[in-house]
Amino acid sequence: MASVVLSEAEKLYIVHGVQEDLRVDGRGCEDYRCAEVETDVVSNTSGSARAKLGHTDILVGVKAEMGTPKLEKPDEGYLEFFVDCSANATPEFEGRGGEELGTEISNTLYRIFSSESCVDLKSLCINPREHCWVLYVDVLLLECGGNLFDAISIAVKAALFNTRIPKVRVLEDEEGSKEIELSDDPYDCIRLNVDEVPCVVTLSKIGYRHVVDATLQEEACSLASLLISVTSKGALTCMKKVGKGSLDPESIFEMMETGKRVGKSLHTSLQKILDEEESLGTTRQKVGFLG
Amino acid sequence: MLGNVVRVAAVAASGGGGRLGSSAAGAMLTSRTFLKRTRAGAVVKVVREHYLRDDIPCGAAACRLCGARPVGAGLEARPAGAGSHLCPGPHYLLPDTNLLLHQIDILEDPVIKNVIVLQTVLQEVRNRSAPVYKRVRDMIANPEKHFYSFTNEHHRETYIEQEQGENSNDRNDRAIRVAVKWYNEHLKKMKNEENIQVIFLTNDRNNKEKALEEGITAYTCEEYIKSLMANPDLVDRLACISDEGKEIESGKIFFPEHLPLSKLQQGIKSGIYLQGTYRASRDNYLEATVWVHGDAEENKEIIIQGLKHLNRAVHEDIVAVELLAKDEWVAPSSVVLQDDSQNEDDIENEEEKENILKASVNKNMLRPTGKVVGIIKRNWRPFCGMLSKSQIKEARRHLFTPADRRIPRIRIETRQADTLEGQRIIVAIDGWPRNSRYPNGHFVKNLGNAGDKETETEVLLLEHDVPHQPFSQAVLSFLPKMPWSITEKDMKYREDLRQLCVCSVDPPGCTDIDDALHCRELENGNLEVGVHIADVSHFIRPGNALDEESAKRGTTVYLCEKRIDMVPELLSSNLCSLRSNVDRLAFSCIWEMNHKAEILKTRFTKSVINSKASLTYAEAQMRIDSAGMNDDVTTSLRGLNKLAKILKKKRIDNGETNSMVEEFMLLANISVAQKIYDEFSEFALLRKHPAPPPSNYDILVKAAKSKNLEIKTDSAKALAESLDKAESPAFPYLNTLLRILTTRCMMQAVYFCSGMDNDFHHYGLASPIYTHFTSPIRRYADIIVHRLLAVAIGADSTYPELTDKHKLADLCKNLNYRHKMAQYAQRASVAFHTQLFFKTKGEVNEDAYILFVRKNAIVVLIPKYGLEGTVFFEEKDKTKPRLDYNSEVPSLTVEDTTFRIFDKVKVNIMLDASNIQHQKIRMVLVEPKIPGKDVPANPTTEASVSNEPEKKKKKLQK
Repeated sequence: MASVVLSEAEKLYIVHGVQEDLRVDGRGCEDYRCAEVETDVVSNTSGSARAKLGHTDILVGVKAEMGTPKLEKPDEGYLEFFVDCSANATPEFEGRGGEELGTEISNTLYRIFSSESCVDLKSLCINPREHCWVLYVDVLLLECGGNLFDAISIAVKAALFNTRIPKVRVLEDEEGSKEIELSDDPYDCIRLNVDEVPCVVTLSKIGYRHVVDATLQEEACSLASLLISVTSKGALTCMKKVGKGSLDPESIFEMMETGKRVGKSLHTSLQKILDEEESLGTTRQKVGFLG
Repeated sequence: MLGNVVRVAAVAASGGGGRLGSSAAGAMLTSRTFLKRTRAGAVVKVVREHYLRDDIPCGAAACRLCGARPVGAGLEARPAGAGSHLCPGPHYLLPDTNLLLHQIDILEDPVIKNVIVLQTVLQEVRNRSAPVYKRVRDMIANPEKHFYSFTNEHHRETYIEQEQGENSNDRNDRAIRVAVKWYNEHLKKMKNEENIQVIFLTNDRNNKEKALEEGITAYTCEEYIKSLMANPDLVDRLACISDEGKEIESGKIFFPEHLPLSKLQQGIKSGIYLQGTYRASRDNYLEATVWVHGDAEENKEIIIQGLKHLNRAVHEDIVAVELLAKDEWVAPSSVVLQDDSQNEDDIENEEEKENILKASVNKNMLRPTGKVVGIIKRNWRPFCGMLSKSQIKEARRHLFTPADRRIPRIRIETRQADTLEGQRIIVAIDGWPRNSRYPNGHFVKNLGNAGDKETETEVLLLEHDVPHQPFSQAVLSFLPKMPWSITEKDMKYREDLRQLCVCSVDPPGCTDIDDALHCRELENGNLEVGVHIADVSHFIRPGNALDEESAKRGTTVYLCEKRIDMVPELLSSNLCSLRSNVDRLAFSCIWEMNHKAEILKTRFTKSVINSKASLTYAEAQMRIDSAGMNDDVTTSLRGLNKLAKILKKKRIDNGETNSMVEEFMLLANISVAQKIYDEFSEFALLRKHPAPPPSNYDILVKAAKSKNLEIKTDSAKALAESLDKAESPAFPYLNTLLRILTTRCMMQAVYFCSGMDNDFHHYGLASPIYTHFTSPIRRYADIIVHRLLAVAIGADSTYPELTDKHKLADLCKNLNYRHKMAQYAQRASVAFHTQLFFKTKGEVNEDAYILFVRKNAIVVLIPKYGLEGTVFFEEKDKTKPRLDYNSEVPSLTVEDTTFRIFDKVKVNIMLDASNIQHQKIRMVLVEPKIPGKDVPANPTTEASVSNEPEKKKKKLQK
C-alpha cells in the first residue's frame, strides 16, 4: 500500500493531537472526511459508483451475468469480487505489485458479504439449479489516500444500489425444456435491496485513542486497526484486525461501540444522498470523470 | 465540522454540475443502451454513443430553413403527386417499416414519388430483409423517384429515447410519428403559397389510430393507392396481406397452424423436429421431399405427402418437419399429378387424389415420412408464369400458374385479367393464410407475349436467377475514362512484350478475346512459348461496385442469340479484348521448352502486348498448312502446333484430348494453379473434378456389354483407352453414343478454396491440380486467380478478403451456383430454340438411338439434330400397354417388342403446344411398330433439314 515517510517528531505531533481529539486536518476522532459519491458513472455496467474520500478515489462497477447456481445453494445467485489496484494509484502497484493487496481486499469483501442477510441472493435466482444472476463486482483503486476499506465499502454499496438487472422470464414448454426470454424494455429490470448491505468502518488505534477514517499519515502512526462492518441498523457483521500491533480487549469493545455509532450515521447520510440522486432521474447532469 | 459526523455528498447534486452539461454541445451527445442475448445465451448490455445534430436537412427542395443541401435529388419543391382524391394538395409520403417491406412493388412504380424514408424505417428494413433493403436503397439513389432518406435518429428534434414500459417496436413507431409531426411543422414554416403536407402511410391499425389522435394525416396503403384517380391499375400490385381478424371470418380451415419459431428451435434442438430444405416434386403437386440439414446419416431425405402435411411450404423454403410413426410411412409415388382443379375449395377431391398416391405401394419402398410443422425461413422470390383466368366473368380474383411446376398456383387480384391473358407475368407471394387453398400474391410486372423470343428469354433468365439487368451507374462509374491509353504508372510492374509476335485464335465473330499466344526460338535452341491473358484485374479493383457486380454475376452467360456479360462491354469487347494491332495489357505465362515440349522454366509477368493477328481456327489451320507462307505469325503458329501435338500425345497417355489453343490454356491453368498453391497454400482458388463413384459407370458397362464390348473404369486412362478401342464396324455411331453415356456418368467440376479441402484432383483432365486463369473476361474465378498470381509475383498489392478462406469459400459457392444456373439457362435456351425450329418445320420422322431405358419410357438421341427426347408408352385417356422392365439388362418390353440401349428406332417429332406455358417437343415411336399403338400419319418423311438448330456455342456474336 502507498506509504508515507514520517519523522518521529511528525508522528509525535499526530499522536498528541489525537490525544486531544484534534486531528491534523481539523477533524475530531469520530469525524469522516468529506465524501463524494456519484452513481451510474460507467454506462456499460449494470450498476456503478465512484466514491472519493479525501484523496482516496474508488470506482466500482457491477456486471450482472447469467451463470449456474452453486451446488450447495441451488436457489441463490452469488456475488464475485475482484479488486484491481491500478498503478495510477501508486507506482508500487505496477506489474503484479497490487495483487497481494487486491486479494486481501477482495477476501475481506467476501467475508463482509458472506452474511446471509446482506443481499437477498434468492432474488438473483432465475430458475433453481440452472440459471442465476452472478454479480461481478469490480473494484478499481484510482488513488490511495488512506482508509481504503471504508471508501471501497461505500462505493460497493452505492454501486449495488445503482444496479439494474434485466428481467428475464423462463418459458417452459410441455417437454420441460426451458427457454429464457429477455424483456425488450430496458426499463424493465429488478433492483437490489441494499438496506442491509454493510459498510466498513476502520478504527485506527493511535496512542491511547482511536480514530475513524485515518489519513495516510495517521495510518503511519497506527500500529493496529480494527475493521468492522456495520449494517444500517448498527448490527456488526464482520470484524478484522489489521496491522502488526496488538489491541487489548477493553479497547476493542470501545472501538466496536464507536464503529457502530459512526457506521449508523454513515449509512444514513449515504442512503439520503443516494435517494436524492435517484430522485433527479434522467435529468441529472452527470459529472463522471471530468469533474 | 463537528456535530456533522459524516458528510457524504453526491457530486452531481452538490452543484458541481454544469461543468460539462449546460452547453449546447453537451446535449448533442447521448448514448443508446440496449440489452442483447448472445448466441451462448449470455445477456449483454450494449451501450453506443449517439450523436445528435441540428444541421440535418429536411430534403425538401423549396426549404430555406435547412442550411445544408441534401445529397442527391431530394424531394421536389412542388410535388405534383399522383392525383389522390384523399389528399388533393401537394404532399410527401412517409411509409412505415411494414409498408415498405410488404408493398415495395407498388412503391417502385414510377407514379410514386416524393417519399421520405426515415432512418428508423430503413434500419428496420435492413434487419428484416436484405433484398428489400437493397431495392429501397436503389430507389433512394434514383433521382427520378425523389426518395429522400431522413436521418431522424440523429436529428436533435426527432430523436427520442425509449420510455418506460415501451418495447422497441413501440418506440420506433413513436419515433416515426414524431418525425411526421416534425416534418409537418417544419414545412409549415416554409411559408409557401401552398402548404406541403406529409402523409403517413401505415397498415398497422394501432399506429394509424395513434397518429390520427396526434393530428397526423395517416392512411393505409390500400386507401391511398385506391385514391389515385389516374392510376387504377396500381391496385393490382397491392400485396394482399389479410388482417388476422379477417381470417377467422371465412370459416373453413384447410391447414394446421404453423408453430412459432421459438418452439421450432426448441424442437430442433431436442430432436423432435428436423430442419431441412423443402423441395417440391416437379411431377406431383401433392408430394415433396425435405433434405435435412446436418450430417446425420439417418433420415436425410424425408418424404412429405398430402396437402395437409405439406402445410403451405413452398419450394426452397427452410422448414421444420416432424417424422410420422413408421406405420404411416409411404413410398415415393411414381404418379404424375398436376394441380388443375378450378374449384379452389374442393377439398374432397384432394383427398381422393391423395388416396391415389397411397394405393398399391411396395412395402420395401417405404421411406421416412413426415409433415411440415413450421416454416423457418421463406424463400419466396417473384415467380414467372401465366394467368389462368377465372371462368366467372368480371371476377377480380384469378389464379396464376407459375412456369416452375414446383411452385403452387397463386391467387391474385387484378382488374386487367383480359390484357394479362396470354402474357408472361411476374407475381410475388404475399402470404398463405390457413383458410386458403392457394397462397395470396400480387401482380408485379408484365414481361410480354408468351412465345415471343424476347419474353421467353427474359423468363428463362429470371427463372435461372441470372442477373441480367443493365449495369448500374455506380458500376459503370468505375470503368476507365475514354480515350484510354497506357500510362507510365501502368508500366511500373509490367514487361513490354509488344515486340513479340503474338496472335490469337478464336471462333469466328468472337469479340471478347481473352487469350493470345506466341512461340519463338531462343538463341540456345529452346523454344519460348507464351500465353497472354487479358489483364482484367487491372481494371476491376477489389471491393468497388464493378468488382461486386462481376463477383455476383460470376460468369458471362451465352444463350442462343444473346450474351449476358459479366463485365461491361467497354471492358469485355474493347479494353480487355486482345484485338490485333492495338496495345493491350496482359498477364503472361511464359515457358521455356525444349523440342520435346518439356518445360524447363516457367515465369509469370504482367505485360503489354500488341497482337499481330486475330485469326479464326480455319485461318490458323490454313496458314499452318500452306507451305508458301513463312511470316513470323505463321512460324509461331507452326511452332505452337508442333508443341501442342506433343503435349496432347503426352496427355492422351493420361486421358482426354483437346485442340491446339486449348492445349496451351490447360498448360497455363495448371502452371498457375501450382504457382498460387505454392504461394498461398490456404487461399488458392482451384478447380477440382472429383472422380465419379464406380457405381456411376454401371449403366455404361452394362450397355457396352450388350454390344459385346468391354469398358474398363478403373482409371481415367483405362477408360479412355477402352473407349478408343470400343469400335464396332457394323455400327460406326456406337463409339459416339458410348462417349455421350460416359459424360453422363461424370461428376460436376467445382471451384473450391485450397484451405477448405484436401482433394484437389481433376479427374477429367487427369491433372493433380487445376484452376481457371485463361478467361477472366467471362469468369470471375479467373479474376481472383489473377489477383492471387499478381500478389505472388509482387505485381499487385493484396487485400484482406483475398486471404480469408471463409470469404473465398463463400465466393466459390456463389460461382459454382452461377455456373450451374448459367448451364441450365443455356440448355433452356437451346430447348426453346429447338421448339421454334420445329414450330416452323412441322412434324418429321427421324432415326434415333436409345440412350436410356426407363420404367415406362425410353430416352432417345436423334443424331441429326443432336436432340434428346423421351418417348412415353403410356398416354392419358388410353389403355395402357403391357410394360415389362428388366433392370439387369436393362431392357423394356412393350407388348412384344423389347427395347435395349443403343437400339435404333425411328421417331416422329413434333411441337406440342397444347400447354402454352410448357411447350415441348413430343416424340412418338414410328418404328418398330407396337401393336395397339397409334402411329401418327406419316408426314414429310426425311425432309431435308438445312438449318440445324443451333447447338451450344461457347462464343458467338452479340
